[in-house]
Amino acid sequence: MKKKDFFCELKEALEFEDVTFTEKTEFRKIDGYDSLHVMMIIAFVDSKFGKRLTAKQLFSITDVRSLMDLIGIENFEE
Amino acid sequence: MIIETFFPQKKLTNADLETIFPDWSASKIEDKVGIRERHIAADSETALDLAFEASKIALKNFDKDLIDFVLLCTQSPDYLIPTSACILQDKLGLRTNIGAFDFNLGCSGFIYGLALAKGLIKTGVATNVLLVTSETYSKHLHPGDRSNRSIFGDAAAATIVGPTDAEKILEFDLGTDGQGMDNLILMNGGMRHKMEDKGSEWVDESGNIRSNNSLFMNGPEIFNFTIEKVPLVVENLLRKNNMMLSEIDYVIFHQANKYILNYLRMKIQIPKEKFYNNMLFTGNTVSSTIPIALKNCIDQNIITEGNKIMLVGFGVGYSWGGTIITV
Repeated sequence: MKKKDFFCELKEALEFEDVTFTEKTEFRKIDGYDSLHVMMIIAFVDSKFGKRLTAKQLFSITDVRSLMDLIGIENFEE
Repeated sequence: MIIETFFPQKKLTNADLETIFPDWSASKIEDKVGIRERHIAADSETALDLAFEASKIALKNFDKDLIDFVLLCTQSPDYLIPTSACILQDKLGLRTNIGAFDFNLGCSGFIYGLALAKGLIKTGVATNVLLVTSETYSKHLHPGDRSNRSIFGDAAAATIVGPTDAEKILEFDLGTDGQGMDNLILMNGGMRHKMEDKGSEWVDESGNIRSNNSLFMNGPEIFNFTIEKVPLVVENLLRKNNMMLSEIDYVIFHQANKYILNYLRMKIQIPKEKFYNNMLFTGNTVSSTIPIALKNCIDQNIITEGNKIMLVGFGVGYSWGGTIITV
């Protein structure tokens, strides 16, 4: 998946209309980010990549890049 | 199949939660988890009391002397010993030459209850089974656990399963994986770990106050479990009953929360109009969500006589299961 498409789809999945996602976007610094968004990330990663992330992995996520690393950076292209 | 429900009078609204937890948004709770309010048992009101009230309503139009087995699903018994079903038999004035026992399951409980009832009836052990699901998870929650307090509500449902009903309960698909025990657990209070006088508390990653004296739920792992197992149950049920999804008139899953149900529906590709997703005024009532949904659907003519309904429950244990019934 192209990175720019990933950022758009992630933004849509997490329902943050006013946030521009980049690799450096830190989830916990987004106003309104909470435990429900962890569920949304699970659903997003499952539906787009068929991958299951554990709770431990999910709570270790800091920025968007760390999520991409968990998904597998080989799944992304410029 | 007679189904009746009972809810405690006291309610906890999203506005109440917003007052208790100022950074919690009432509208967001409703939008995401699909719950506006949940009923909460009073301090003196137990799951047995709720079971009694629901059963009384169910028995209003059914001769109680015809009940020859009581199955009570609860994880909030009045006593460790004796089983609440025996007390319920006495309170309802049922015959004494009948069977009765509790079984300890959560959100899969109604499905297992149907499996037990069908088995008892088909083998001639019983003729009319009173299957009661009753839960007061609110009593297991830490007051500072805003996530779980937003989700769970208290309720009971009483279902009378007779010989004709048993014929209309088709094949089951059941599953168990105790490796998931740590992800939904009330650690203290059993024989392994006694309830602590002043249990240690900690704040989890989502800002909830946790304690081993209270129910712990690892939401992400429970979601992972449902994503993995529920589509398989649906697939297995269709295969075991030699049916296609298009032949199912309506699907009722355990009402966990709106977001999880929406995602499962899309993943399994169940048409929206055939799928129940409504816990707005009750919350997640654990083992009672499926009978509550069934009753609502029948009362509102969403499902009608002859319809084939797929039921799937999943949760604590891990325990899961499904069946197809004809109403």
